Formats: sequence, C-alpha cells, structure tokens
Amino acid sequence: MSVANAIEVEDLRRTFTRRAPNTLTRMFSRQRPKGGSNAKEAGCGDSGKRPAALVAVDGITFDIRVGEIFGLLGPNGAGKTTTIKMLCTLLEPTLGTARVAGFDIVREPARVRASLGTVLSGERSLYWKLTGRENLEYFAALYDVEPSTARERIRELLDRFELADKANELVERYSTGMRQRLSIARALLANPPVLLLDEPTAGLDPQSARNLREVVRELKGEGHTILLTTHYMAEADELSDRIAIIDHGKVIALDTPAVLKHHIQQMHSVEVETDRAPNGILDELRSLPLVRGVECVQSGNGYETWTIRVLTENSRQTLDALLDLLRAGGERVLNLRVAEPTLEDVFIALTGKSLRY
Amino acid sequence: MSRTIRCTARVFLAAARRDFLITTRYADFVVGMLVWPILMPSLTVFAAKALAGPDGAGLSAFAERTGTTDYVGFVFAGMVLWMWLNMVLWSVGGELRAEQRRGTLESNWMTPAPRLAMLLGSGLNQMIVSVMPVFASLAVCSAAWGVRFAATPLVCLVFLVSTIAMFGMALAFASLVLFLKELNAAVFFLRGVFMVFCGLTSPLAVLPPWMRAVSRALPLTYSIDLVRRLSLAGASYADVSRDFWVLTAFAAGLMAAGCLAFLVVDRAVRRNGTLGQY
Repeated sequence: MSVANAIEVEDLRRTFTRRAPNTLTRMFSRQRPKGGSNAKEAGCGDSGKRPAALVAVDGITFDIRVGEIFGLLGPNGAGKTTTIKMLCTLLEPTLGTARVAGFDIVREPARVRASLGTVLSGERSLYWKLTGRENLEYFAALYDVEPSTARERIRELLDRFELADKANELVERYSTGMRQRLSIARALLANPPVLLLDEPTAGLDPQSARNLREVVRELKGEGHTILLTTHYMAEADELSDRIAIIDHGKVIALDTPAVLKHHIQQMHSVEVETDRAPNGILDELRSLPLVRGVECVQSGNGYETWTIRVLTENSRQTLDALLDLLRAGGERVLNLRVAEPTLEDVFIALTGKSLRY
Repeated sequence: MSRTIRCTARVFLAAARRDFLITTRYADFVVGMLVWPILMPSLTVFAAKALAGPDGAGLSAFAERTGTTDYVGFVFAGMVLWMWLNMVLWSVGGELRAEQRRGTLESNWMTPAPRLAMLLGSGLNQMIVSVMPVFASLAVCSAAWGVRFAATPLVCLVFLVSTIAMFGMALAFASLVLFLKELNAAVFFLRGVFMVFCGLTSPLAVLPPWMRAVSRALPLTYSIDLVRRLSLAGASYADVSRDFWVLTAFAAGLMAAGCLAFLVVDRAVRRNGTLGQY
C-alpha cells in the first residue's frame, strides 16, 4: 500500500446468492417475485425456481488518501453499505481486494478492525438498557483501550459530544441525535486513523445534522481519514474532498466536487414547478433534443406541487419545447427557474435519474 | 500476563458485566428466576409423596433403586441441576440471538475483540445469575423439607466440569443460531431429551435398556448422578472416579467441538453475509 493511501480498494465485487422461496412459501405468498432492485441480477433468475445472484458491488476501485474525507454517494441500494461492510470485515468480498491502513481485509481482519472506527446506519447499534457511559466502557474493553486510559478518554468524548450531563442515563431515553453522537464517540474510543461513517446524518433534524457535519470536519482537522456514505448531495458537496458516485454497484464518476460540477458547467438546470404530478410526459421530456436528464420530485414546501428538473445543454433552445409539452399535457406552470448545475445535476447527467427515488 | 490474555480477559468480563446490568434492569426476570426453581421441583416432590403411599411404604422400593430414601433431595438435586445447566446451555445462543434482534451484533463484531471471549462472557453472566435460583431452591429445600446437601470440593468440581461441558454445547448452539436464526424448536426438543433421559426425577434403573444407553451418551446424566451420590449418599472420589473422568472427557470434547464449530460458522457468515440478518 502506498503510505499516502489510508484505504485502497481494487476491483471489489460482492454477489449475494438469493435463495428461491420453498414450495410452502410460494403457496402462501400473495406477492409475485419482483424485479426492479437497484442491484443487478446475475445468473439464473427464474422467478423463484432457481437461486439468482444479486450483484451488490460490481468491481469498484478507488483509493482514499490519508487525511481526506471521501464521499461515497449513491441512491439507496447502490452498494454503499455493502462496501462499508466489506471494509470493516463484516462481509467478505466475492472477488477483489481492499486494504485499510495497509492491512488486507480478508487476510488481516483483526488488524483492520483495530485501525477502524465504524458507525453503521441505523440507531440500534448501542445497548439501550445501558447508560451512555456504560456503553462506552463496554466498547472501550472491546477496542482494547487500557482501563486507566479508557476512563479519561470516555470523559473527553462525553464532553466533546455534549453528552456528559446525560452520561448516566439509559440510552433508551436519548434522542436520535444523542444516540448518533454516542455512536461516533464509540467509534473514536481507540482513536483510530480511519473512520467509516455510513449515512451519519440520516434521520437527524437539520440542526443536529449541521452539528454532526461540523464534527466530521473537526475529525478531518485532527488527521482522521474519513469514508462517508450519504445520499444527501449537499452533504457530500459540503464535506468531501473527493466523491465517488456509485450506482448499480459501480463507481460511475470519481473526482473532487468542483471537477465533477465543472464537467457539466456548460449545462443548465431548468426547474419547473407544477400543480400536479406530471403523468406520462417525463419520457417525452427526456427525448427532447439537448436534454441530458429529467427528474421529478414532490415539492417539500407544504403545498401539493411538483418540481420537474431538466438538465439541458442549452436552456434557451429547450424552454419553448419544454413549455409546449407541459401545456399539451395539461400541466399548469406555477414557477420556472434556470439555475447553475449542482452535484445533484451531475448525478442526473450520469445516470439519467435522481438520487431520491 | 501477556497483553493478548489480558485483553481477552477484559472482553470476557466486560461482556459478563454488560449482560448482568441489562438482566438486572428487567425486574420481572429476577422474580421469575427465583420463583420457578422453587415451584418446579415441589411439583414432583408432592407427586412422589402421593406415590409412596400414606405410610411411605414405597420408599423402600425407591431406596433399593437409588441407594437413598431421601427422595426430596434426589428430586431437588436433579431438577435444580437441570435448570441451572439449561440456563447455561441456552445462554450463549440466546444472547447471540438477542444481539441480532437488538441490532448490536454487528457493532460488537466490528471491534478487534475476540468473539469467543464476548460469547463466553455472556455465558458467564448467565451462570452467575442462575446461581441465585440454585441457592434459593436449595435454601427452600433445606428449610421446608430438612434436606442437607454436602457441598464438598469434589461437588464443586463436578459443577465446574459440568459447566464446561454445557458451555461447549452452548457454543455449538450459538453457531447454529448464526446460521438458522430461530432455534426454539430445537431447544425445546433437546430440553425434553435431557428431561426424560437424564434421570431428573427418577433413577436410571427404571428406564428401558435402550433409553439407558442414550442417557449414557448425555453429559447431564453424569452431572446429576455424581452430585446426588456425592452430596446426598456420601460417596467418595474412589466410588465415582470413573464417572467423573467420563464427564471430564465429555467437557473437553464438547468445548473443543463447540469452539471449532463457532470459528467455522463465524467465517461462513462473513462469506455469505448473513451476520446482521434476523
């Protein structure tokens, strides 16, 4: 491993064999086997008669430099969490190799785990019937922190994450934000050089999410290398030194946020607000000349409105055709705006779809 | 003491402390633990009293088969030991299943701590917690029925060796939990087998020959028999040495097999990615 790289991932692949449901399950199941997962089907997917393979991670390669925040960005089911689970040795790769802090994830799993602090998504990774302090004391023993050092370290972390006042309360009484902070404190107990943070702000209120992003920046300032997965564009843009965009288990772009956005800077993003869901015209919009991507989301403004976002190489040439199509479809245009491209537009340009579907 | 051994010991004790704290925060569990071991043997004792006849004439037949007329002590020794070893037997797998359900298993296994130490620490807590009902049961037995158990060092050693044997089986069950998730049916089956074949409330002599053959293949049979002979019938080491070494061989073999099974399954679940599934 190069000394400049904290994590090296080479052609990593993970396939899951899906068992076919047995006869009884099929008889009593009302649901037909569904397709449409983000991950790819491989092998023989014969509607439940034979096992099919699900390719969750499909030959990804990237390096993470020491001291950088590396964002792994992709929609749900893109392969982000599977990648994290392989890196923290909970899951073995089907093919390929990866090294964390110079240690091979398959051959030296204990050393990899000793070099890592991992926060997986979800808030059930702590013991709710233990207090915050008891949780940290327990995990300090698991991370082989000497008892004398552990006491001081736990006190520091409780202070740092503003949990000192609630340290002796059961975790079941904590808010979601407090539990997330405690999870990060747990990951920092042994002061590991590399941190894996899987969707750290998922489910947090805006203020807690902002505070947590500040913590991530501080951790980078202290020299930690951070792999951050998220499906929040703004978060990845704000925090990451470099971003890998992952979709269907493959890395489809990897660069700094600025360079990724620069690639589509000559494009425009046209946002149209309508008063109802645009039925059936999105495909027509996609087929317009110069249009590189279209997404539609329900507006989060408390009103029943929808925002159609069209990424085009030239907004002046697209606007007329766009408005004609909307009117022909019976849509009422409430608002229209031409904006500079964002990281979200990068994703749309690369995949033709939104992150939030 | 080397750093590895110290680290393993710390993990072992930390896991035991964690489970002890969690256990004691569920008040109903503590009440259940104390009441059940008193009620259950009493059931059989009253049945035995009825079967012995109004003047206890049936006791001579019982003494002929068991070597003691103290049927209350006989029943309590069998039932209490069965319940205690049962708790140890299901402790590791049960705790692993609880971790899967809580969602804490992965956060434990992402640490560099030895997993066997974590699991056995859970078992240690269960063993410590389950000693409470054993004492409660023996105290009631002594106060209400006047039974006196001889707690000699050899009896304690039999307890220890029995525990090692049960931990070995517990690890094998824990391995199955990782693969199969729900094991209630298997647990109840094995519990029933132990109950019927190990001579809990009756001497092995009353079992048909084929059942006696099966009972000799179960370590709990030796544990119960040894405790009865040593603490109730006043047997010496010379009287029980053969059975004691059979039990010790069981303990060594089961512990080795349990550890091996767990290590193999640990690797397998990382390969197939089913660790966190529940």
